[in-house]
Amino acid sequence: MSRIIVITSGKGGVGKTTVTANLGAAIAKLGRQVALIDADFGLRNLDLLLGLENRVVYTAIEVFAGQCRLEQALVKDKRQEGLVLLPAAQSRNKEAVSPEQMKKLIAVLSQKYEYILVDSPAGIEMGFRNAIIAASEALIVTTPEIAAVRDADRVVGLLEAQGIKRIFLIVNRLKPAMVQADQMMSVQDVQEILAIPLIGVIPDDERVIVSSNRGEPLALAENLTLPGIAIHNIARRLEGDKVPFLDLMAEHDTLINRIRRMFRS
Amino acid sequence: MAMDCQSQVRLKQTEEGLQLILPSVEDMSDASWSDLWQQFKHRCHGSDRFWQVPGTVHLMAGDQLLDGLKLQAIADVLNDVGLRISRVYTSRRQTAVAAATAGYCVEQQSATYSLHQTPELSQELTEPLYLQMTVRSGVEIRHPGTIVILGDLNPGGTVIAAGDIFIWGRLRGVAHAGADGNRSCRIMALKMEPTQLRIADAVARAPETPPIEFYPEVAYVTPQGIRIARAADFAKTQLLLNS
Repeated sequence: MSRIIVITSGKGGVGKTTVTANLGAAIAKLGRQVALIDADFGLRNLDLLLGLENRVVYTAIEVFAGQCRLEQALVKDKRQEGLVLLPAAQSRNKEAVSPEQMKKLIAVLSQKYEYILVDSPAGIEMGFRNAIIAASEALIVTTPEIAAVRDADRVVGLLEAQGIKRIFLIVNRLKPAMVQADQMMSVQDVQEILAIPLIGVIPDDERVIVSSNRGEPLALAENLTLPGIAIHNIARRLEGDKVPFLDLMAEHDTLINRIRRMFRS
Repeated sequence: MAMDCQSQVRLKQTEEGLQLILPSVEDMSDASWSDLWQQFKHRCHGSDRFWQVPGTVHLMAGDQLLDGLKLQAIADVLNDVGLRISRVYTSRRQTAVAAATAGYCVEQQSATYSLHQTPELSQELTEPLYLQMTVRSGVEIRHPGTIVILGDLNPGGTVIAAGDIFIWGRLRGVAHAGADGNRSCRIMALKMEPTQLRIADAVARAPETPPIEFYPEVAYVTPQGIRIARAADFAKTQLLLNS
């Protein structure tokens, strides 16, 4: 029985695709068979982040049209065994695919792969509905900003109405220094509104941008960086391991900050 | 500013058993089937503690047009919360045929007579709606009576009641009590941090500077507008003085 997980957020630009790419790599590293599906038709990015752009021959659209077999469209990642990508078409838009087609496709993939991660587009329109149609679990990615959290809240409501019961929260791009200085929502603030279980906190890090531009997921690096470790911890928690959360605050909990906070309250 | 509180799916306990009442096509105005569908699911999962499982339910479809697929979808959701459709009431011939084909007992009523509309044309409030859920951004709960919510009302969420509103949790969205124009209705919450409070035709925003400490509070209408009192003192200062 494979696990079909949709990664979604409502708001754009919070890191859905980056999380999908890295999480897929991290789960594959744990020895699982992972298929990544880019459901962002018309605005595909997942292949770029994985550095697989130049190996894309067929896309999901050709599979739906019967112009190629599913196996032909799947792009294998050479660096990490067990990781494949089904790219979206860049030339079409979200209406090119129907929920039924998506459901069928995922049903076929689920016979071979243990994890199917669906990278959802931003928004709550057709593309979003296609992405969640077959999912049994969802990861909500949000940054600690009120607009992102508000949209995430709306999406959680829609997922609940869809009957997806296992919904977990990933807080992305947290800046511990700003949280300490009371300038950014804390993870607790986010959780208080969304009221869903937390599965990971990823700190803001410039190396994420560098790795995205190079097409080398951080989770595949030899020496894991802090965000890379955070991603790996999420993968292990998905597997059912109890992994304590990284203490991102410790470094910034200096005496001066404490005194500042004392004065503020 | 009388708001329409009738236009949502309702689950109602009657002497003959539980009824699932769909709003009439006219009341739904611009809402689509998928809106109705989402309301229905939220409602089912928010109040599934309030009936015996397994139980049966009468589907009061009114003048909604339901095909076999929609009927099946409704039955599936009800099945998830331990309910089975025992009988379908409808005023549409197509719906009656679809329901009969699907194997349900069907009772077809004339289009002019619809069970759930006639009694509520009077201003009488219906029984309270009790929900256990988080009212999230984008969700709107309407009920022609009092609404009790065990959970939070999040920013971006809306609760509109013809009667009082109780939020056993944080109230951070928009709450509108006495939406039919009843100014004696109240809004109560354990933590009052609203985007906006409305009672009948009065509107109030939250203060610019949030209070340092939160107490359970009650919002009510005075000639000067909406006022808020600590719940612990409210009974003493407002209810007894006025009696």
